[in-house]
Amino acid sequence: MPDITFVKPALPRGGALVLLLAEGAALAGLAKAAEEATGGAVSRGLEAAKFKGAKGQSCTLWAPGAGLQKIVAIGLGKADALDTQGAENAGGTALTAVQQERDALIAADGLTPALAASCAMGLRLRSYRFDRYRTTEKEDDKPKLERVGIASAEAAKAKAAFAPMQAVADGVFLTRDLVSEPPNVLTPAEMAERCKALEKLGVEVEIMGPREMKRLGFGALLGVAQGSAQEPRVVTMKWMGAPKGKKQKPVAFIGKGVTFDTGGISIKPAGGMEDMKWDMAGAGTVIGLMAALAGRKAKADVIGMVGLVENMPSATAQRPGDVVKSYSGQTVEVINTDAEGRLVLADVMWYCQEKYDPRFMVDLATLTGAIIIALGHERAGLFSNDDTLATHVKEAGSAVGEKAWRMPLGDAYDKQIKSDIADMKNVGGRPGGSITAAQFIQRFVNGKPWAHLDIAGTAWSSKDAPTVPKGATAYGVRMLDRMVADHYEG
Amino acid sequence: MVKLILQRSTEALRRHKARGAESALILPLVEGNAPDDPALAAAAKAARFTGKAGEALCLPGRHGFTILAGIGAGAAISDWEAGGGAGMAAAADRAQAILLADSATPEQAAGFAAGALLNAWRFNVLRDASKNKDAPPARVTLAVASPTKVEPAWVRAEAMLRGVLFARDLVVEPGNRLNPASFAERLSALKEFGLKVEVLEGKRLMALGMGALCAVGGGAVHGPRLVVLRWPGKVKAAQVAFVGKGICFDTGGISIKPAAGMEDMRADMAGAAAAAGAILALALRQSPAPAVAVLALAENAIGAASYRPGDILRSYSGKTIEVLDTDAEGRLILADALAYTAARFKPRAMIDLATLTGSIITALGHHRAGVFGNDEALSAALMAAGEAVAEPLWPMPIDDEHREVLKSDIADLRQCAPAGSGAWGGRFLSDACHAAAFLREFAGSGAWAHLDIAGVETREAAAPLGPKGPSGFGVRLLDHLVAMRFEGDA
Repeated sequence: MPDITFVKPALPRGGALVLLLAEGAALAGLAKAAEEATGGAVSRGLEAAKFKGAKGQSCTLWAPGAGLQKIVAIGLGKADALDTQGAENAGGTALTAVQQERDALIAADGLTPALAASCAMGLRLRSYRFDRYRTTEKEDDKPKLERVGIASAEAAKAKAAFAPMQAVADGVFLTRDLVSEPPNVLTPAEMAERCKALEKLGVEVEIMGPREMKRLGFGALLGVAQGSAQEPRVVTMKWMGAPKGKKQKPVAFIGKGVTFDTGGISIKPAGGMEDMKWDMAGAGTVIGLMAALAGRKAKADVIGMVGLVENMPSATAQRPGDVVKSYSGQTVEVINTDAEGRLVLADVMWYCQEKYDPRFMVDLATLTGAIIIALGHERAGLFSNDDTLATHVKEAGSAVGEKAWRMPLGDAYDKQIKSDIADMKNVGGRPGGSITAAQFIQRFVNGKPWAHLDIAGTAWSSKDAPTVPKGATAYGVRMLDRMVADHYEG
Repeated sequence: MVKLILQRSTEALRRHKARGAESALILPLVEGNAPDDPALAAAAKAARFTGKAGEALCLPGRHGFTILAGIGAGAAISDWEAGGGAGMAAAADRAQAILLADSATPEQAAGFAAGALLNAWRFNVLRDASKNKDAPPARVTLAVASPTKVEPAWVRAEAMLRGVLFARDLVVEPGNRLNPASFAERLSALKEFGLKVEVLEGKRLMALGMGALCAVGGGAVHGPRLVVLRWPGKVKAAQVAFVGKGICFDTGGISIKPAAGMEDMRADMAGAAAAAGAILALALRQSPAPAVAVLALAENAIGAASYRPGDILRSYSGKTIEVLDTDAEGRLILADALAYTAARFKPRAMIDLATLTGSIITALGHHRAGVFGNDEALSAALMAAGEAVAEPLWPMPIDDEHREVLKSDIADLRQCAPAGSGAWGGRFLSDACHAAAFLREFAGSGAWAHLDIAGVETREAAAPLGPKGPSGFGVRLLDHLVAMRFEGDA
């Protein structure tokens, strides 16, 4: 991962130079300096490449002179329409253009310090790589980039604006690491151990094992875990950042962490089952979110809770037809052992409310394939019993490019999970599959404002986006960090 | 359809007494209230009947055969409809039903009766009805304080009712009776209500360039039809357009469907039936708003002349379409119908209805239809109309990714994403969104909305507003939309 520094604008003596150019704007600042130093090579090259500065357009000039390896021009679109996301995307695009050089300078001298920082954020987010299991990768295939300078006339201001972003990026990377880890490495116990890394950021971490869960009566979660050789864990992370005298009830984020989901006795088809290593992405997101909030010292009291289990078929596994008693006291008839995430959330959410009495709860879960059939991969499904909370979540997501789409709840859907012999069953059939899953979770909401994000379609991406390389997206970390920043601090 | 008798309540009650046990007296009851009559009040209390909207209680031996019909809070027309429907269901084996609404407003009284008659619809053309105990009363009376005051409200309600029942009569018909030719004949009969009817078929369709509609209908003995129904209205304004998918039977074509449940595919013309029912309702109540319904009728049959996966069709719009799956035929015939309607009528709003995708059932279940579109105001108006008449919708997105998957290697676009190309081993495709993105390409630039009514066109179980079977979903919604939004400038 390259070091990022903020520097005063000056032409570099070598390496790569990235020019960020608005549509139709004349060359100015560093771009103009490069034009002069190269004897007009910049304008000649851009003209020949029909580069106009349209958003997303880019153009590379090799050995343009002045000792530079290359100059890359990246289009920003109309200058007055440039926003945070535009600057982030330009930074992400810049990273891919220069990662085979050791040194690069991004000429962000035409941007405000805040947008220069966003450009650095985009570059940082795109630079993520999960390569710890590659042992024979050729040197040529590895990125070489070591140092990136972000040139800004107000370098100190840009640097200050970047500091909290860097903390959020660290949280995003933690989440991406967790989600990318293979399931034989990232077991529930291992994942709980990794939460402890947050202690050095000032987060209090408590880990609960199966004995304690049994004593408390987490029957729903334990039913899922009982088929696996790996013990379950519930981890509570507390960040108490609200200033004294401004204390309110904490806000709570809860994540589904099924470290591998075979489906259990209701086993999944073989095709694509390897993807089920990321069935812990909800929990991974909550952990990364806590790291982000603590890393930037958010002025809010926040509880993060994750339920970590592995769902395996075995002689001791839970069967379709079993009835389990949840921590809330409500009983559940398990019709399909592959609808396990909601069972895990049920106990963790009820416990969170009893113990911490939060102002609201947001849960994240790779819960249903049905949400992919409903919405695809661009948006997560958002379900909520509270319009204000839902709006906060949705707007924060839009601001950071993590989009959500509100989905319905209602009695008619709730009826689909009536059981003949227990308080409810854990599936409601194919029709409205993600809605009935949300109805199930809602039965474990005890009068609190609550929002549920079904991230099954957005947690993992099969193609690169400007600030999100393909693979684990960490969808939700930036959204919820932003929501806390916008509404629940100070 | 049972003809309603509108009568003064004193006279109706006399008739009730005269018929003894053959007459059912249906009394509305506001939730939480006790009936005025002490004997009825005692009985309701003993039965723990509270008057919830859509629930009914039979009280034999109290003033003959009395039924208490719950109307909830008793304010919304939809509550009165639900009460009337539930009351009628309880009267199913009587010869006569008297709906007593002498203290209701004219609109509430009309709603009470409309609900009852929606419930009383049956399709007994193809069986011996005398052997079937489920025969609703042949004589239905709405008993009110002043029939002349209720008359205008009833005329409006009856128009809606006849539109709904016309649609149900079409949807219930099996594929061997209702083919594109006989469907077009039944639509031609609507001339008697002041609708102008055009039937385009055969060479005429080919000459117009409807390559998509002709391909889908080409494998059947009865070729495709495009039927145009026009209601001139009273004012000079552009029409509101309804466009309907009318696949009289859908085998799936060469991409044949599995045998189980294929019989349900006789209802794959429910969109066209709803569009026809809606414009009939406008004609019957002499709506001032000009309207047009364009119905694409075809049978998706298997034959030597059937179209194939891989075929490329030239649509009416001029765009070429690559066929991947002959069972995604609805969007093809709508492509031609939408482009034709937009070009010929330049409507002020265009709404299509189609039993289009299984994906929308997975997304929203059987309780809501999905609404897609390019105009937020139109979608919002449809949502509001749907809530008012108990045909609820939910907004769904068309995102860039949904258009992206329709890129074809050799045609302007392909009709759907390839099977198996989705996430998790190819099992999850957001086909409803893909289909909407496809239709958008043919809808032109005017205000357009697409209602995917798969899952709501048929009731799985009896409900107050109708027995098990076709619901007529969409007729009331469109009738109400026109009344609320397009008659104001009359």
